[in-house]
Amino acid sequence: MPKKKILVVGGGISGITTAIEVAEVGYEVVLIEKLPYLGGRVVKMNQYFPKLCPPYCGLEINFRRIKQNPGITIFTSTIIENISGSKGNFTVTLKTKPAFVKNNCTVCGECEKVCPVERTNEFNYEMNKTKAIYLPHEMAFPWKYTIDENVCLKNNCKKCVEVCKYNAIDLEATSKQLQLNVSSIVFATGWYPYDATKLDNMNFGVFPNVITNVMMERLSAPNGPTLGKILRPSDNKEPKTIAFVQCAGSRDENHLPYCSGVCCTASLKHALYIREQLPEAKVKIFYIDLRVYGRNEDFLNKVESDKNIELIKGKVGLIDENPDTKGLIIKAEDTMTGIRKKEEVDMVVLATGIVPNKIDIEKINYDNNGFIIPGLLEDGIFAASCTKRPLDVSASLKDATGMALKAIQETK
Amino acid sequence: MQCGTCSVICNLSPAEKPFPRKEMIWAGWGLKDKLLSDPDIWLCLQCGDCTTTCPRGVKPGDVLASLRNFSYLHYARPKFLAKLLSKPKYLPVVIAIPIIFILTIIYFAGTLTIPEGVVNYSKFFPHLYLNISFSILLFLMIIGMIKSIKVFQKDLKKNTAFKKHKNSLLRCFISAIKEILTHEKFNKCRYHKYRYYTHLMVFWGFIILLIVTIFAIIAVVFFEYPLSLWNPVKIASNFAAFLLFTGLTVMIYNRIVNKSFAGNSNYMDWVFLISIYLLVISGVFVQIARFQNWTIAYHLYTLHLVLDWFVIIYAPYTKFGHFIYRTIAMTYAKYVGRE
Repeated sequence: MPKKKILVVGGGISGITTAIEVAEVGYEVVLIEKLPYLGGRVVKMNQYFPKLCPPYCGLEINFRRIKQNPGITIFTSTIIENISGSKGNFTVTLKTKPAFVKNNCTVCGECEKVCPVERTNEFNYEMNKTKAIYLPHEMAFPWKYTIDENVCLKNNCKKCVEVCKYNAIDLEATSKQLQLNVSSIVFATGWYPYDATKLDNMNFGVFPNVITNVMMERLSAPNGPTLGKILRPSDNKEPKTIAFVQCAGSRDENHLPYCSGVCCTASLKHALYIREQLPEAKVKIFYIDLRVYGRNEDFLNKVESDKNIELIKGKVGLIDENPDTKGLIIKAEDTMTGIRKKEEVDMVVLATGIVPNKIDIEKINYDNNGFIIPGLLEDGIFAASCTKRPLDVSASLKDATGMALKAIQETK
Repeated sequence: MQCGTCSVICNLSPAEKPFPRKEMIWAGWGLKDKLLSDPDIWLCLQCGDCTTTCPRGVKPGDVLASLRNFSYLHYARPKFLAKLLSKPKYLPVVIAIPIIFILTIIYFAGTLTIPEGVVNYSKFFPHLYLNISFSILLFLMIIGMIKSIKVFQKDLKKNTAFKKHKNSLLRCFISAIKEILTHEKFNKCRYHKYRYYTHLMVFWGFIILLIVTIFAIIAVVFFEYPLSLWNPVKIASNFAAFLLFTGLTVMIYNRIVNKSFAGNSNYMDWVFLISIYLLVISGVFVQIARFQNWTIAYHLYTLHLVLDWFVIIYAPYTKFGHFIYRTIAMTYAKYVGRE
């Protein structure tokens, strides 16, 4: 009797980990991802804390492990629509978006040159634009172009089809449905950053120099919209003072009632990005508590000893703009001195929190905050990492590996 | 209470030792004396900005409101009157006091019967008796009020949390009055702007009625009573009644329907709000009853006088006392440079 497959939903670092761990002990695995490329949130980061190493490094190793292993099947641009059956014998329905660019794409880039349409680039959190046919990023896996079907003019244009030497573009492609029989399912659907426009007093989206922490990652990343230069959006100048607003949405009953766990360490890391690149710049971090866990305590000590980084205990309650300088006036009570501060800075970074992705499917129940409670899941279905609680990357990997073991146990 | 969002979001809070986070901590620690002598609780206009933005749902606006209610009880002289007015179980007593008093006066005036013929309230309660008896009451009330003010001022001075500046006290007082008349501070609240308009309407409605009433007492000499509907005094008082009625209706509606930002309302809030609401409504009906010659006119008139008592004579013992404490605290805050 052939071994049954394991399905992993979500191609971020957790899903990749579960899939590889399962495959490397000899089981067959199907990994699906809703975006056209693997890597999820991690691929958009500049560096990991606390070692300050780039995620591309670990991803490269993982992509190689995937390529070498015949047991892993990957479907990108694919979502799960339905699950029926039970433990050991699930039937899942998958839906794949039309693959306008075929796998024989060589990434020569001729199509991009002729494409007349632009789109905002979600990869860089809408800070720049790409053509309607674009390469998601420099290490996209699978290594091919993709077409944004919402903006592409399709048959009214066809310029890319004409210019492609490899006949790799098919604008007639349609979406596909697929049914699979699997023994167990692991959800590694990950998270998204909290929508900062919901924080009325922070005026994100109103004042251009208020950005979020995930945008800061892109600004610092060598393949980001500014090619790794930390520049403020309004005038593309180097900011001299930068303030960080911790708990922007997290630990707030009006937004996310829970602590997102990683934003404190992430902001400390961002402060180091700034200090490395802009030696004169001053950084002010406004916080309620600095929740830095485990060995990251050393990381905090390192940041605290930097004279250009000021840590202020007090939450920012309001951000206004100085219309002349486009600088931002931040108001917060320094709770150690009992004085209400009003300071102008060049740029503000909101440390927005982690919101779990939810997929609308029967058999998966979420708690009030959108997290999966593992104990309530049906036998044979598992949830990994940020689907259960906010986690940093290293904790996510451990959890994802654990879920691999659980999934294997159901294939007997 | 570590984030300070409330102190930052409040547009009325000073930069140094801002409220209400400080008060929330004091309340948590049980520092009663500090809270009672704190002018800041009176600088709060309960707009609800802090409660709306609080990340932990601790409702600082409600806490300051209850601290003010506590202050009415603490500073009232004689204290027992405020106590009677603070609990529903004493309601019959506080209603009985004015009824007995009014009926006694009318008895001594010798008019304790429903007069025949065209409705004329002075036949029932002669103006002379009314004006003299109520003036004496008002005088007694003012004595009590002055006593309360003295204790309150003493406490404020004891409060060493703020350093003294050399502003002239009179200038501070004038500036505070100016702010009150224009509701300038009220307009600074960020969300829930309706409160600025409703309080402004009620405030000015009341001021107009107060002027009209003082004028009416003097006018007994010049005009022939009862006044016609088109007498300027009547027009002004009806306009004031309209302002009061509209403002109060919105206030009451929001207190019932929009508790999340109007705050929690307790018995003391309702006694004040409903008594003044009924005073306005009964006043309008007393007027209609006169022109329409209703048979229940004199009963309505008695009810109106009882409510009048509730609002005016009981003022220092109910939430109405806020006009005293706020004016003093605002003046004091300016005096010590807390802006």
